[in-house]
Amino acid sequence: MAYGPSKNRTGSQHENREPNLIPIMNLFIVIIPMLMTIMVSVHLAMIEITLPTQSSGSGGDDSGEQTEETPKELTLGLLIDRFEVKVEGNEDVMKIPQLASGKYDFITLDQTVSHMKKLYENQQTINLIPDPNVKFDILLRSIDVCKSNGFPNIKYLTTATKYYKAK
Amino acid sequence: MNRVSSVVNRSFTSSGHEQRIRGNKTKDLNITSLIDILTILLVFMIKNISMDASQKNAPEGMLLPTTVTTNELIESGQVVFVKIYTDKILYGSENIPVSSLQDFMLKHDIRQSLLQLLQMESRKIISMNGKPCLLIQADKQLECRFITEFIKFSAQASFANIYFSTIHTDDKNEVLGS
Repeated sequence: MAYGPSKNRTGSQHENREPNLIPIMNLFIVIIPMLMTIMVSVHLAMIEITLPTQSSGSGGDDSGEQTEETPKELTLGLLIDRFEVKVEGNEDVMKIPQLASGKYDFITLDQTVSHMKKLYENQQTINLIPDPNVKFDILLRSIDVCKSNGFPNIKYLTTATKYYKAK
Repeated sequence: MNRVSSVVNRSFTSSGHEQRIRGNKTKDLNITSLIDILTILLVFMIKNISMDASQKNAPEGMLLPTTVTTNELIESGQVVFVKIYTDKILYGSENIPVSSLQDFMLKHDIRQSLLQLLQMESRKIISMNGKPCLLIQADKQLECRFITEFIKFSAQASFANIYFSTIHTDDKNEVLGS
């Protein structure tokens, strides 16, 4: 004698069973706080600078061909009230005064550095001389302007090697 | 009034057995929409997560300058962190307090001990065939004299590669201040 299908079997076929989401929820509740703790909302960057070498400024033993190709040194001075840009062998110093007290003119500096790059395409380095009282923010923004205009090497000079002479 | 009474009557007229069944039935919470939101959150966070060591050592309570350009760490470079706040100096990724800025500038023994620490760290990195790199994380309001001191320090301690930590932005106008 054949028995009819059980009630459970027929029930499971007709009933619309939802997946059990509780384990997924448990997983999410653990993962999301963990990710939130290690997630970074701001992306940090790094700016590299180079230190002046002992041999800089010399070069008397170099051949004539090399000295001809050596690009002129560019120096950017960060003073308390202005920027100063100097090209090696040129007595004139380009001065970029502040727009207002404490407000440096980075737009003009950007244009000047860009112009310098066009004039001295082979030059990759800018010497940087910050005044001891200049803020670190101004220093880094100046480095950023130089790097974004095609001068990837920034040589950080200390005040002992300032380019101007006391009169 | 009639309608209310009829509803009440109906509930009363229904059998007690039926009511008991309805009371015992546990209604499942619909968490599908919640799962949807959490899935989106999960994907967003996985995308934004960073495994970079320098990102993990973001200084707390420090205002960093903003820059457009960014440099990568040199190959086989190993970073030593120095955090320079306007009032204190912290050393290493463990944030070991060194001294206040004033003490650092004035007291010779503090400078010497920090220099020795940096030299020791540098020698250790070189012995492991690494290149010692100093990552200076300084507050944007700090004066350059302190930075210069640290750069001199790092040069004495054989740190040839020096990096400054900044916040990256794609907007150049933010840097130019326009």
